[in-house]
Amino acid sequence: MTSANQLNEIRKRIEAKFTDAFLDGLMEGMDIAFGPVGNVLLPGFKDNIKGYDAKYLFTAGNGVSSSAIFKDGKMSTNSGAIKDWDTRVSFSTPAALRDFLLSKDQDILNSILKNEVAVDGNLAMIYRFGFISRDLMGRLGIGQG
Amino acid sequence: MGARRFASPYVGGFFEKTFRKGIAMAKITFPKTGLSLDHIKINGDVEQMKIDYFAASPEVDIERAELLTDYFLANGLFRRDRITALDAAKAYRHILKNRKPVVRHTFGYKKIKGQKGMVRLDLRDKSPFAGSTTSKSKGVILYPEWLALTLWPELHTMENRAANPFQLSGEDADTLNSKVFPAWINFNIMDLTRNKVYGAGEKSSPLLKLHDYLVFFLVSKFQCISHTIPDFKKALGVGLRGVIDEAKTKQAKAGGEEQKDFYQAMIEGMTGIIEYSHSLADEAARLAINAHDSEKDELSEIAGIYRNVPENPATTFREGLTTIWLCWIACHLENSNTGLSLGRLDQLLYPLYRDDVDAGRLTPEKAVELVCHLWLKIGDHVPSIPESGEQLFGGTGSNQAITLGGVDENGEDAVNDLTYVMLRATELMMLRDPNLNCRYHPEKSSREYLERICEVNVNTRATPAMHNDRAIIDAMMKKGESEKQARDYGVVGCVEPTSAGRGYMATGAILLNLASALEMTLFNGRHRHTGDAQIGPKTGDPAKFTSYLQFRSAFETQARWLMKQAVTLNNIAGGIHQKYHPTPILSTLFEGPMEKGVDLVFAGAERNSSGVAIIGFADTADCLSAVEKKVYGDQSLTWDDLMDALEKNYKGYEALQTELRNPAKTPKYGNEDSLADQNAAFIAEMLDDEFGKSPHYRGAGIHYRVGYWTMTSHAGYGRLTKALPNGRGDRENFTSGITPVSGETPGLTKTLNSVASVPSRFLSSGVAFNIKYTPYQSMVVDGENEEAIRAKMIKSFADSVAGYFQGDGNGSKGGVEIQFNITDEKIFRDAQNNPDKYVDLLVRVSGYTAYFIDLNPQMQNEIIERTEYDLFTCKAVTYNL
Repeated sequence: MTSANQLNEIRKRIEAKFTDAFLDGLMEGMDIAFGPVGNVLLPGFKDNIKGYDAKYLFTAGNGVSSSAIFKDGKMSTNSGAIKDWDTRVSFSTPAALRDFLLSKDQDILNSILKNEVAVDGNLAMIYRFGFISRDLMGRLGIGQG
Repeated sequence: MGARRFASPYVGGFFEKTFRKGIAMAKITFPKTGLSLDHIKINGDVEQMKIDYFAASPEVDIERAELLTDYFLANGLFRRDRITALDAAKAYRHILKNRKPVVRHTFGYKKIKGQKGMVRLDLRDKSPFAGSTTSKSKGVILYPEWLALTLWPELHTMENRAANPFQLSGEDADTLNSKVFPAWINFNIMDLTRNKVYGAGEKSSPLLKLHDYLVFFLVSKFQCISHTIPDFKKALGVGLRGVIDEAKTKQAKAGGEEQKDFYQAMIEGMTGIIEYSHSLADEAARLAINAHDSEKDELSEIAGIYRNVPENPATTFREGLTTIWLCWIACHLENSNTGLSLGRLDQLLYPLYRDDVDAGRLTPEKAVELVCHLWLKIGDHVPSIPESGEQLFGGTGSNQAITLGGVDENGEDAVNDLTYVMLRATELMMLRDPNLNCRYHPEKSSREYLERICEVNVNTRATPAMHNDRAIIDAMMKKGESEKQARDYGVVGCVEPTSAGRGYMATGAILLNLASALEMTLFNGRHRHTGDAQIGPKTGDPAKFTSYLQFRSAFETQARWLMKQAVTLNNIAGGIHQKYHPTPILSTLFEGPMEKGVDLVFAGAERNSSGVAIIGFADTADCLSAVEKKVYGDQSLTWDDLMDALEKNYKGYEALQTELRNPAKTPKYGNEDSLADQNAAFIAEMLDDEFGKSPHYRGAGIHYRVGYWTMTSHAGYGRLTKALPNGRGDRENFTSGITPVSGETPGLTKTLNSVASVPSRFLSSGVAFNIKYTPYQSMVVDGENEEAIRAKMIKSFADSVAGYFQGDGNGSKGGVEIQFNITDEKIFRDAQNNPDKYVDLLVRVSGYTAYFIDLNPQMQNEIIERTEYDLFTCKAVTYNL
């Protein structure tokens, strides 16, 4: 498979979950992007987490949790809650989380207005996560319209 | 050619006489009919620079952030649990010494409509003032210790923002992402404060939740303290070398090591400014070698001036402006560009101006030109607002207020020729920053001066704001300022009066949404924005209240509780500033810290306070009045119906909504209705009482002051708030500042009297009272009698202000402040449709000035919807467009 085809495959997998399972899609995309394949397909992307040590907990409105842990230049994802998170993002729906992280059109206030996303712990870490998410989407050409 | 040296008018006895005993030499030599100085036009160089200024988009500048990060990394400061004043001063000296000395900006960037990214814009920089706040011609200055990290998600996209895009190179974005921002991820004031609030083992807190909901209050210490006026007198009078000598003398006598270090911090900071001025002088001299003709002379003159000041006393008007400019740059390298203000420049610089003019070294024409250049320089930076913040604070500049006129320390009229020079420069430049404010004393200021201020408003459409000396001086004295301190007030940020150079008032510390207290009263401590959560105290089901006073008492309980929460968080954040962000440069340029040997953040200033800005004042007052009159007065409305109407956003209750909005049917603040005005006064008194006794992190005896200015927050907070009992619908804008609700005050005179009736003693942190007048151009038919109509408008304009400031003679000190938009709805609508035609259309928001096209649509509409009055009929104007 060519690099272009591989990228296209990743893009499709994320886009397929963009609406109903955004976090799953994003985590899956990051898993690949920060892994060995990502080194080849997305050069430089891994630099985003060089020396980064942080634990994120994401909790959906239905109570389902998942986490992303960055350590030693690697990322690992888990389903289920972790206790020693640095930043916790609680969101009502996958779309609300997507808008919160990726919105380009000033919709962040709308997320707050609808009280759909709340952040506990370190706030600057969510800004960094927002950058990583947007960088990945930008490199994959998702949501660039 | 070096600068020629003259004796400083500030030195020795003259300095003592001028600044320690009050300026007693104000003089107006311009003829009464020539105060407009309208024979002075903008010259070619300034005109070109103004065109470039408006064409250029802001560029994110990483210089300060990177130099600061490098210094912190190299010196292990990120591992420290306290940053001392000396640590900070050394870091700022490092920045001043190592930053690029920019004498001439040669290019910037501009946005082309419909295109992605930005294109290069060649600049023709001829400024007599070298140096800039950032390394860019119009820079976004980054403060990673505060909120710069909120830009992180946008590093690759901010060039293509829908509103107010910023230019940022890919290389600089990488530096921020890989080095600068990661270093501050746990060391910024916001997260340091959050950790402090959480306590050991916790990462969630009801207090922070309350803040994060946004709808209740905002504590701005995560972004700044700023919001004050430095003292430039010593820098002008004895030069920074003289200040350093004073610090050395104090240091030699200081008792403890900490105090000795503090004086050393002062020395480091001032030395850094001198080093920066010398590097600019060297750069100017270097550029002069290959320059030709007048540019060669100009660069040589810059080199000579910058070798001399601010190190030594200023001896000419231009040197005085240069001293202030360089100190101003240094203040902004230390303190975020949020409301830091310049004070009474016409008073500070008048001795130099007078000396130069009397000696034949300066003409008013040249003075206007120099001031135009300085105004452009002052506007050379913008705040780093993230895309989401555009909705709450969109279009704002740095709100650098300048204050003109008023009385001197002896209570006499202080307006002088330089006041008129600066007014003319303002009129010619029409810039958002600086934010110009004029003081007016009903008994001391001249009618000619008042009419001139009105004329500048007519010509610029939005500036300057006007402040009533009598009301403000009285309010400040009631808060503890001496008469002399109060008389020497300057305006901070938007509208906040502060004793200039000696009051560390942090006037923008808290934004409090008063309507949330009302909301919690209606829902027994809950808020519709936060659902079923019990937020405030349980004050009972209002349907069971048997009297209006019971309802009002419940509201007071909710409001006082909310105020306590906001103060608690602000005090914690203030403690974090004390631990991690002392301010040695600003402390040196201030009255108090040198004498006490104490930094400003530890109450080193002569006067101390923090300010709270109230959002939703008029809406809340009108809600109380509606409940009082309709539910408990004539009992025409039941609680069940009212709550059902609110739940349904008045759908099915349209007649009720119309009645609640009708000032003839329901008491409305702003109509000289005693019930409504009493409710407004009750709120003002209650807020002043609670905040006025609240404890303060800087120490005992220091309290909070209340102001009524809202920037654009009344639109943002409006979006977070559902329907209210005053007939306001879901998500509608609140009314700005202390202004009555738009569209509900048909008579101008009653509106002015009503606002003036709110006791000024409760408004000690200033008010923004927005009034919109129909421009005279709209009244001219076929070009006939244009000049006569214009003159009549200015006279009526001045009459309206004089009446508002006069008060009723029964103990009232008159209205506190008033500001204007002199643009009609047709022009605003055209600007919305054709923004490119209106790049410099200046508007008053609530406090600050902004460019109309920079505002988000909701804020634009709020300004359009404001009540517009025809000054000839004193009636509200309606349009059918």
